[in-house]
Amino acid sequence: MAQGFIQAYRQAPWRIQIQRIGSILLLMVVAALVAGVYLSISAQSSAIGVEIQVLENNRENMQREIANLKNQIGVLTSAVEMEKRAKEMGFEKVTTYDMEYMLVPGYPGRQTAMLAPFSGTEAANRQVSNPGFTTSLWDWLARGVNYLSEQTDEVLP
Amino acid sequence: MKTDFSTRLLFIRILFILAGAAILLQIVHLQTSASASDLRKLGELYSYKRELVYPERGYIYDRYGRLLAGNEQVYEVGVNLSEMRGQNNAQSIASVVSTVLDMDYNEVYGNLTNPKNPEAVYVVLKNYVSLEKGNRLKSIQNEYEKYIAEMGSAKSQSAPPNLRGLELAPHLQRSYPENNLASNILGFYTRNNEAVMGIESKYNDLLEGSPVEVVVSIDPNQIEEIPTIPSGASLILTIDREIQAEMENIIDRAVKSSGSISGTLLVYDPETGEFLAMASNPRMNPNEYWDYLDMKHFNRSVDYPFEPGSVFKVLTMAAALDNGTVQPDTPFVDTGVIEVGGLKIYNWDRSAWGPQTMLGCMQHSLNVCLSWVALQVGADNFYSYLKAFGIGRRTNVDLAGESLWPLAVPGDGNWYESSLATNSFGQGLSTTPVQLVTAVGAIANDGVMMAPHVLLGFVENGKQYNTKPQVVGTPIKKETAQILTGMLTISLEEEASDALVEGYRVAGKTGTAEIAIPGKGYVTNMTNASFIGWGPSDDPKFVVYIWLEEPKTAPWGSVVAAPVFSQVVEKLVVLMDIPPDDVRLGLRAQ
Repeated sequence: MAQGFIQAYRQAPWRIQIQRIGSILLLMVVAALVAGVYLSISAQSSAIGVEIQVLENNRENMQREIANLKNQIGVLTSAVEMEKRAKEMGFEKVTTYDMEYMLVPGYPGRQTAMLAPFSGTEAANRQVSNPGFTTSLWDWLARGVNYLSEQTDEVLP
Repeated sequence: MKTDFSTRLLFIRILFILAGAAILLQIVHLQTSASASDLRKLGELYSYKRELVYPERGYIYDRYGRLLAGNEQVYEVGVNLSEMRGQNNAQSIASVVSTVLDMDYNEVYGNLTNPKNPEAVYVVLKNYVSLEKGNRLKSIQNEYEKYIAEMGSAKSQSAPPNLRGLELAPHLQRSYPENNLASNILGFYTRNNEAVMGIESKYNDLLEGSPVEVVVSIDPNQIEEIPTIPSGASLILTIDREIQAEMENIIDRAVKSSGSISGTLLVYDPETGEFLAMASNPRMNPNEYWDYLDMKHFNRSVDYPFEPGSVFKVLTMAAALDNGTVQPDTPFVDTGVIEVGGLKIYNWDRSAWGPQTMLGCMQHSLNVCLSWVALQVGADNFYSYLKAFGIGRRTNVDLAGESLWPLAVPGDGNWYESSLATNSFGQGLSTTPVQLVTAVGAIANDGVMMAPHVLLGFVENGKQYNTKPQVVGTPIKKETAQILTGMLTISLEEEASDALVEGYRVAGKTGTAEIAIPGKGYVTNMTNASFIGWGPSDDPKFVVYIWLEEPKTAPWGSVVAAPVFSQVVEKLVVLMDIPPDDVRLGLRAQ
């Protein structure tokens, strides 16, 4: 009985072969997929790596260019060049006898160079937007309550 | 048949298994063998390269932010020899490079065809090629490529002319856009990355920043961003470029007209210790520093102590007034000679000037009178005052190469009784111009002596740090300083000195120092002519010191240096916005 049952439901040999071939093909497809994904990511990574190198080169080039342009500005605005240009434009050097002086209240005089924010000052981090744009609803309510309570305290005997 | 096939299959299987096992064994062997670590290092050599990244050298600006030292792009022109040999274009490269870079054709061709190192794969033809010439080479190279592209493949022709293999590597070099302006202050930075003299040397640590070694992967899969290397700090000097330029023009003219060997001109702010100008003649062009390597003195203001002569009488009189030994009207009868320690001291004109006050002694610059004053003050007090004025020690001004001449005091082997007298009028001792200006600056600043400096501030990591003026001592009282300024103002006015400037009251003193020649002693016709002055007298904003070395037209400071002071002040009052005294006092009263 049992033997008959097994025989009745045993897979045909060609089916088993197809299953095995199918399994192997499935494995191969999975392997190909994994390899494909790996190659794709690896290629992208390499391309980005090369792009980083190119960008770094660009950055270096730009830094050199900026330095060079600053230097060119220095040459074009050098004392000798400026004097030459001023003379060509018809300017003359002023003497003390040509000067007229007047008092300008509040004018502190010519200030020395400030090429960056001073150390110790918080100018760079100073908030420039209206605080109302960054205040939360809770802060606004708390401030309102505080204000009201202060007003109430003031009128109390 | 089936058995044969199975045997073959088995044989192939065994073969594969054995090959796999051999590979595995070799892998294990490589990982565990004695030379495994060496092999790993060898592998890393081809995976990574280590690069020392130098940050860009910091800039130097004047007090108003005008560039004095920056960096410009230049090229290293070289040739990839293997590519050149492949193209067989040595003649083309040599021809173009020698024409554009003004080089000898045969020399270039020889370098390419017979390099000094036969195994070299790259030769440098010329470094520090200007941007203009480098771009010209690039442009010619591109024109060749364009021509080849138009004519078809380069390899199809026998040998089409091209510049393949010619490489231009850009890099930065130090540049001074103002050329020789303030060069004696700036110093210079060589192509061998050496900071020499001046600010460049003194603040080299700040300017050069910190080089960082980075590991760069050659494998594009492992490339990481090179960290941003912050550039060196930029310096802001106390120097005002416009004042410096005017002062250099003035000292150049003065040296030429007087036939002097050299000239030095300092403009100093007595309230802060800042130098607004420090002009020197001769001076170099730091862009072509190799032409000036035989210069004896780079900056006489700091590296050349000399006998200052009569300008030193200002300090002697300051000591005597402060000590209470004399008053401006203290009488003195000048007999024309005084003997101190066996040495007879004479006046500059070897004549007797009769009854004088201290004002007259300063006005006529009488050596006999000032010797007497020093004797009255006493050696101990006199030298104590000189030390308080900083004479005999370095000012520690922030410039490289400051020299010092030690002050001989009683008890030293090289001090004699007569030294007190000779020192009183600035002979027998030496100072640098910076020392003298710093000391006299105390008189112009109500007795308070400031630390002399040329650095106003620096910018590092996006923040500016400014220096603060520092007091280094109070050698004399405020009253003494004001009295002496008044005396020296009147003395100039009564003398009708060439140093006077219309509309401005100024104080000052001339100096004419004889120069000692080894073996001959002091030679009368060789002098250091000088003038030190400050103004406006009621509220000094500047101290000016002029020194002309060995003038030929006249030996006297009153003749050659005093008029220069007048020219200087006429320029200064305009550039520093100092109104004439009547206008200034009128505005102040409003």
